[in-house]
Amino acid sequence: MFKGFKLTRKVENTLMLVFTLIFLGYISMSPDMNLESLKGVLIIGITVGIIYGLVAVGISLIYTGLDVVNFSHGEFFMLGAFTGLTVYNFLIDGELIYAIFPDAYGWVGYVIGLFFAFVIMGLFGVLIERVFLRPLTKKGGGYTVAGMGIIICGFGLSVVLLNLAYIIWNPTAHPFHADLGLPINIGGVTLPMTYLWMLVTGFTVAGALYFFLNKTKMGLGVRAVAHSKVISNLVGINVPLYISIIFGIACALAGLAGTLVGPTYQVVVYMGYIILLKAFASAVVGGFGSLPGAIVGGFTVGLFETSCAFFISGSHKDAYAFLLMIVVLLIKPTGFFGVQVKMKA
Amino acid sequence: MLKIKNLISGYGSVQILNGANMKVDNQSIVALLGGNGTGKSTILKACSGIIRTWKGSINFNGEDIQNLPPHNIVEKGLVQVTQGKDVFPAMTVLENLRLGGFTLKSKQTLNDNIEKVFNYFPRLNERKSQLAATLSGGELQMLCIGRGLMSNPKMIMLDEPSAALAPQIVLDIFKNINKIRKDGLTVLVVEQNVRMALLLADYGYVIKDGVINVEGESKKLMYDESVKDSYLGGGGTTANV
Repeated sequence: MFKGFKLTRKVENTLMLVFTLIFLGYISMSPDMNLESLKGVLIIGITVGIIYGLVAVGISLIYTGLDVVNFSHGEFFMLGAFTGLTVYNFLIDGELIYAIFPDAYGWVGYVIGLFFAFVIMGLFGVLIERVFLRPLTKKGGGYTVAGMGIIICGFGLSVVLLNLAYIIWNPTAHPFHADLGLPINIGGVTLPMTYLWMLVTGFTVAGALYFFLNKTKMGLGVRAVAHSKVISNLVGINVPLYISIIFGIACALAGLAGTLVGPTYQVVVYMGYIILLKAFASAVVGGFGSLPGAIVGGFTVGLFETSCAFFISGSHKDAYAFLLMIVVLLIKPTGFFGVQVKMKA
Repeated sequence: MLKIKNLISGYGSVQILNGANMKVDNQSIVALLGGNGTGKSTILKACSGIIRTWKGSINFNGEDIQNLPPHNIVEKGLVQVTQGKDVFPAMTVLENLRLGGFTLKSKQTLNDNIEKVFNYFPRLNERKSQLAATLSGGELQMLCIGRGLMSNPKMIMLDEPSAALAPQIVLDIFKNINKIRKDGLTVLVVEQNVRMALLLADYGYVIKDGVINVEGESKKLMYDESVKDSYLGGGGTTANV
């Protein structure tokens, strides 16, 4: 039986490789194909990918910790963007930052905005988990009836948060004029500073998350709770507290990603739902429930989407992520990292 | 050390325990025996706080611990050791042990305890950087017991430490359980392997239909006909192997 399992995986991987080669062959025949555009697509794809990755990591974390898919995660992304924008505008309008850092007020304000988006969304996530999800998860998550209830509640929460934001910030698009300096040139590609911020902050946070989960005691506890709540209870972990921590970290990451994206696009109340779906696609592509898988899935979706939009057609940009998700689900349903460590019988 | 009075509990709305009474003395090994579905593991789960106690009391070291959060019970020094398959397979042996000492405050105690566990089970030391998923059944059981010892407990409750293991390994593990008792711990062991458990224990309880049916010194219980009767319907021979 084990042998058969291995063979299927081989077939899956071969099919994935064939798909990748066909795709690469197809885009290499595009008339726009040259080294310059390839470099640009690579950098932008990775930048978008790390954002998808950060949101997808949150979705995967909540899935492993609470056994439910959080369908209101996009709203935390949107609220994070608004938090960052509000904090930034408050600091810049007050001219306090300008008085202290006349040369670098833009990025000092932006860093503080990022920090507040991270912290406030984290705390808000903990509040939401304690008040709304705790009574529901007590009755069980996953495939139980209560689990279905939580999923529906996720949608409901999403609508409520969206409308709250609608009342507070009105439906118009808010430009996020983060004054981060002139675009820089990396290897022949001119890159706006906002992209560089996304890249650097995204990778730093992903690295910090890896360090947190693998090298600290709290991270060990998070991984234990993600694997099994019963055994975690028996070794003396305060499981309810750790579930709050998991939800808080996931929401904080989404909020941070929102503020990172803000200056590049605009901050709108509707920005949450499309990122939720794309991050969900990333998590599925990388292997649902796997954290490295979520980051790798984010890169894959980001690169695929950007290259398709550039080389094939830019008018269906949002569809490519789901096309990739469908292909991966057909060929390799577990995703890249979805194979869990199996116990020896 | 542990006194259970009129314990009534169960899962959801299904009542399993119908008023069980038990007593575990300091530094003794007590065996809790019974067939499948009689409520052996349910008693352990109620003691460690994983399921709610509906009625009755569980007294540990003079304190009532029923319905406390599970992590508080671990902090008080009562640890349940589950069957060997309940490890964290995607973590290394060392990480599994560190999780066992999660309630410890100082890093020094943690490292001392890891050394202590390696003294009991030298095999774990050889395997310390392997993923737990790659261990054999006996090693997994050792890891589970070792993880239970990590938090400096006063008493450990073992849930079927001999389940699905080769006789030689069972003997090895039981020798270590005896050694653990000699080092000052109290042990409550739930077993299907009646003979081995009674050889190890000082005192035994036999549970049937959620109440304690027979109890007594383990030497007497070994030859008690009623033990065989309350055990496994037609499989009474297991008690007489």
